[in-house]
Amino acid sequence: MTASSVQPVPSATAPPVVVARGLTKTYDTGGSQVHALAGVDVDFHRGAFTAIMGPSGSGKSTLMHCLAGLDVPTSGTVHLGRTQITGLRDAELTLLRRDRIGFIFQSFNLLPMLTAEQNILLPSQIAKRRVDQQRFDHIIDVVGLRDRLDHLPAKLSGGQQQRVAVARALLNAPEVVYADEPTGNLDSRSGAEVLAFLRDSAKDLDQTIVMVTHDPVAASYADRVVFLRDGQLVDEVTDPNPELVSARLLKLEA
Amino acid sequence: MLRTTLAGLRLHKSRYVTTVLAILLGVMFVSGTMVFADTLNANYEESVMGSAGSVDAIATQAEAEPGEDGAYVEPEPLTADQLEEIRALPEVAEADGMVRGQAILLDSEGRALGFTPPAAVSVEGASRFDAAEGELPSGGDEIALATSTAEQSGFGVGDAVTVLDPEQEKREFTVTGLVNFGVDPSYSLGGAVIFAPDTVTEMTGATGYVEIDAVAAEGYTDEDVVDAVAGVLGTSAEVMTGEAYGLEMAESAGAETEVFRVALLLFAFIAMFVAGIVIYNTFAILIAQRQRELALLRCVGAKRGQVFRSVLLESVVVGLVASALGVLAGVGIGVAGAAFAAPAMGADGGIPLVITPTAILTGLGVGTVVTVVSAMVPALRATRVAPLTALRTSATASGIEKGTGWIRVVFGLVTFAVSGALIALTQMSDMGMSGPIIVTGAALVAFIGVVVLGPLLVRGIVRVVGLPLRRVGVASMLAVDNSVRSPRRAATAMIALTVGATLITGYSVVSASTETTLTRMLDEQFPIDYQINPQFAMEEPAGAGDTPGEETTGGDAPADGTAEGTETAEGTGEPGTDPSAAPAEGAPEADAAEGADTAADTDASGLGTIPEEVRRDLADEPTVAGVFGQRNGYLETGGGQYVDVTAYPGAEYGTDLTMETVEGDLSDVGPGRIALTEGSAEGVSVGDSFALANEGTEVELEVAAIVEGSTGTGGAILHVDDLTTLFPELTEDQALLIRGAQDADPAELREAVYASVDDHPTLQVMSVAEIKDQFSDMMDIAFYTIAAMLGLAIIIAVFGISNTMALSVLERTRESAMLRALGLARGQLRRMLSVEAVLLCLIGAGIGIVLGVVFGWAAAASALPGMVFSLPVGQIAVFIGVAVLAGLLASILPGRRAAGTSITGALASE
Repeated sequence: MTASSVQPVPSATAPPVVVARGLTKTYDTGGSQVHALAGVDVDFHRGAFTAIMGPSGSGKSTLMHCLAGLDVPTSGTVHLGRTQITGLRDAELTLLRRDRIGFIFQSFNLLPMLTAEQNILLPSQIAKRRVDQQRFDHIIDVVGLRDRLDHLPAKLSGGQQQRVAVARALLNAPEVVYADEPTGNLDSRSGAEVLAFLRDSAKDLDQTIVMVTHDPVAASYADRVVFLRDGQLVDEVTDPNPELVSARLLKLEA
Repeated sequence: MLRTTLAGLRLHKSRYVTTVLAILLGVMFVSGTMVFADTLNANYEESVMGSAGSVDAIATQAEAEPGEDGAYVEPEPLTADQLEEIRALPEVAEADGMVRGQAILLDSEGRALGFTPPAAVSVEGASRFDAAEGELPSGGDEIALATSTAEQSGFGVGDAVTVLDPEQEKREFTVTGLVNFGVDPSYSLGGAVIFAPDTVTEMTGATGYVEIDAVAAEGYTDEDVVDAVAGVLGTSAEVMTGEAYGLEMAESAGAETEVFRVALLLFAFIAMFVAGIVIYNTFAILIAQRQRELALLRCVGAKRGQVFRSVLLESVVVGLVASALGVLAGVGIGVAGAAFAAPAMGADGGIPLVITPTAILTGLGVGTVVTVVSAMVPALRATRVAPLTALRTSATASGIEKGTGWIRVVFGLVTFAVSGALIALTQMSDMGMSGPIIVTGAALVAFIGVVVLGPLLVRGIVRVVGLPLRRVGVASMLAVDNSVRSPRRAATAMIALTVGATLITGYSVVSASTETTLTRMLDEQFPIDYQINPQFAMEEPAGAGDTPGEETTGGDAPADGTAEGTETAEGTGEPGTDPSAAPAEGAPEADAAEGADTAADTDASGLGTIPEEVRRDLADEPTVAGVFGQRNGYLETGGGQYVDVTAYPGAEYGTDLTMETVEGDLSDVGPGRIALTEGSAEGVSVGDSFALANEGTEVELEVAAIVEGSTGTGGAILHVDDLTTLFPELTEDQALLIRGAQDADPAELREAVYASVDDHPTLQVMSVAEIKDQFSDMMDIAFYTIAAMLGLAIIIAVFGISNTMALSVLERTRESAMLRALGLARGQLRRMLSVEAVLLCLIGAGIGIVLGVVFGWAAAASALPGMVFSLPVGQIAVFIGVAVLAGLLASILPGRRAAGTSITGALASE
C-alpha cells in the first residue's frame, strides 16, 4: 500500500488500454433468458494488474471473453486502445488476438508435442513475427525456465507449465494479457510464484494484466480488484490484501 | 448394462458414422456381387431353358472320341434316314434336324467377318430355336443371322449380305430374321448364320444332322420320347430331355458366372479387410477417449466381463445396422450391375431380380462378424481400464505414446528379411508359375512387417518429410507434430490405405512390364509393320482337286516336291500340322470340309494358307521393304520329343528375324542348318547334328544356333527347303509378315497391303501398330477394371483416415480453442488438419507404392523370363495425386468441425 506512490499509477491523463461500456450478454436457454452480463462499464489502465472476482456464475469469465474478443457481447462496446473490437469480424478478431493480446488459461495451456521453447515462440510463429531475443532471454531468466526449454510439457510440473504459459503471453509485449484462473490447478507455492511473476512483470515491463480468479489470495497480488455479481460490477478495491478481498467476497455472496 | 450401452451409442451416434459407412461399403460389395451373379445366372438359365424347354427330346451327335491312334475321330453326323425313323415313332409328334457347317460372311467392307467364320445352320419346324425378330429363311436367297452376328456386323432384317460358297464365290442373300442362340457355346464364339435346309448343304457342303429335336406326341412323357429316340440312334447320339439339356447348358454358362463371382468376391474380401482395419482403429480410439466413462462404470461396480460385453454389444449393434444398410445398398448395386452388364454378358435385360437368402445372410453375417472381430482387441483393452482412472483429470491421451519396443523392431526386421529371401529365391531359380505365388507370400510377410513397424515407419518418415514442411508455416509445422502424436493410431489409419495402394501399384507394374516386354519381343523378333493371316478354321476352297502349285498360286511354286496331287487343308495353330498327332480341337467346325476334302478328315483345327501371289504382289511394291512368310509344322525329333518347327520363307535370318542367341548365329541357318530354342536343345550344342522325322521322312540337320526361348514347348527354326522335305504338303505360307520401307508413307503402305488382299476376302490384315494398340487397350481395360474394384477399398481407407482425424479433432477441442485464442485463423486450423491428413495419406500410399513396385517387379520377373522392367511413372504419379486428393477430402469434415467450434465453448468444457 505504501508502494502506491511509486507505481506507474493509472493516471487520468493517459487513456485506459481497455474500455468496456454497457456490456450485456444474454443467453437463451430453452425459453428463459439468462443475463450473464447486465451492463458492465469498466476501464483497465496501462501497467495495471487487475483481478476480476465474483462468486460462481457471476459472469467473470464471460466478461473476460468479451473483453478479449473471444466472445461477442449482446450489446455494449469494448475498445482496445483506439480499436473498437465489438463489431469486428472473426478474421479481424483473430488478427487482433494474435498481435495485441496475450492469454493464460487455467489448464491445457500448452501443446503437448511442442517443447517449452516452441510453446513460448508459438504466437510469434503464428504471426510470423521476429522475436526480440533480449526480451526472450530476460523473460526466460525471470521465470527461471532456462534449463527447461527443451522439455516437453509432460516433463514439466504444473507450476513450470504455467510459467511457460506466462512467458508465452508476455513475450510479444501485448497491449493486454488476460489470465483465466492461472493458478486454479496449482499448489499454493507454485501459484504464489506465478502470481508474483505476473505482478512483477506488470510493474517492470509496464504490462497491462487482467486476471479472472475466485481465490482471494490470488486476487491480493493485483493492484486493483473489481467484484462482479449477477453480471454487474458491484464493488472495487485498490491495493487489496487477502483478508479485505475475502470479506468483500463474503459480503457479496451473503 | 444393456441400457447404458445403447444410451451411449445413441449419444455418440456421430462418431460411428464413418465406421458404419466403411462396413456398409464392404457389405454392399459382398451382397451386390451375390445378387448380380445370382441374377445373371438365373437369366442364363431362363434363356437356355426357354429354348431347350420348347422341345421334349434333344439328340446331339455323339462327342468326338480318341480313335486307335490317339487322334480324335469325329463321329458321323445323324442321317436323314435316322430322322425319318424318329419321325415315324409313335411317341414323336414332330421332329426336325439341324444341319451345321461353316460359311464365310463378308462385312460391309467386303472382308470376312470375325476371326473364325460363323456357323451356318438350318433351323426349321420343331427346332428348339425360333426367330426372335422377323422370320426364318425359306428361300434359296434368304438368310437369318444370330443376334450376336447381327450386332457384330451391323446388319439387320432387310439388309443384303454376301456369303462365300465352297467355291469362294460370292452369293447375295437377304436377311429375313434374327435368331437368338443365347449362351449356347456352339454359336457364342463365332456367331451363326441360318439358311433354309437345302441351302445349308449347298453353301457349306455339310450333310447330315448334328442335332435332332423332337416334340412328344399326345399322351407320351418326355422320357418316353427320349427312350424311343435313343432306341433309334443307339450310340451315334446322345439323347436327353429338353429340360436336362437346358440345365446342362445353363450349368456350363453358370460356371462362367462363378468365376466372375469368385473374382468379385476376392475384391469384396479386400474391401472387408480394409474395413476391418478401419473398424479396429475407430473402436481403439473410442475406447481410449472413453477411458473415464468406462472407469466410472467400473467404479460403480461393473465387472470386467460386463465392460467387455458392453463394448462388444456396441460393435454388434453397429455391425448389424451397418450390414443391414449395406445389404440394401448391395441389392441396389446388384440390380444396377445386372442391368448394365447383362447385355454385355449375353443375357437379356429386364429380367427379374434374384435375391437369395444366401446373399442377404452372407452380407449381414460377414459385416457383423468383421465388425465384432475387429472390435475384440479394443474391447479387451477396455477391460484393463482401472477404476481409479475415473478420478484422474486428463485421462484422454493428450500425451505422447511410448516408443516402439525392441521386440517389435526385431520382429519387423525379421519379416522383411524373410520376405527378401523369398524374393531372392524366386529370382535365382526358374520357378515357373509358382514364382508369382511365392512372391505373393513374400508380399504378405512384408505387409505384416509394415503393420508391426507401422508406428516406427510413420515417425521416421514424418521426421524426414517434416523437415521441409516445418519451414512452410506454422500450420504445417503443427500438422507434422500432430501426425506423430499417436503413431500407432496414424499407422493403423494409413495401413488401410497401404493395402489398396500396394495392390494397385503391384498390378500396374506387372501390367506395364508385361506390355513393355511383349512389345520389345515383337519389335526384336519381327521388326515388321503388317501381318496377314488366313481366317482361323477356314478350309481351303475345295478346288477341283488340282495341284495348288498351278491353280491357286499361279505357278510360283517352291522348288521341290509340291506336286503331291491332293489338296490338303494343312496348317494348324501351335499344336502342329501332323494330321495323326493333332487333337481335334475345333472338331465341330471341321465338318464343313467333309465330302469336299479327303485329306482334311482328321486335320481338324486347320488354318488356311496365303496364296503365293499375295507375297509376290507385295514384294513388287515399292513401299514394302521386306515380305516373308511363316510356315509351321509339328513333329517328332530323333530323341522322341515333339517340337514345333517353323520356317520363314523369304526372310533373311538374322536380319528380318532376330532373336537373342545363346550360342552360334541365327544368320547361319540355311539349308541343312537349323536353330533350336534352349528348351529343345538339351544336350545339343552348335555343330552337332540333330534329327527330325515326319511320316517316314527323316532329315539330319546341323545345329547352327541356339536361341533364347520359352521353356517347356520348344521349337526349331529351319530353312524352308528342309521344312518342305519334312512336310511336302506345306507349300504355302500360313502367315505373311511385311516390313515397310524406311521412307514409305504409312498411308501408302497401308493401301498397298490392303490392295494385295483385295481378291482374297478371307485373308485378315493386322497392322502391328494396331496389334500393339489393341494389346495396350486390353491391358488398360484390365487395369481400369481392377482399379475400379480396388477403388472401394481405397474409399473405405479414406473414410478411416477421415474418421481418425475427426476423433483426434474431438480430442483436441480445447487445444484447438487455445490455438484460435492465440491467433491461429480458422483457415490455418483447417490447413493444419489438411496437411496432417495429406501427410498420412501420402505415407500410406507411399509405402504401398514402394511395396507394389518391389513385389510387382518380383512377380513379373519370376513369371516372365527376360522381363523388361517398366515403371509406370504416369500411373504412379496419378496414385500420388489421388493420395493428396484423398487426404484433402478426408480432412474436410474434421476441419469444418474444428474451425466451427466456438472458442469459449471449448475452453469452458472440460
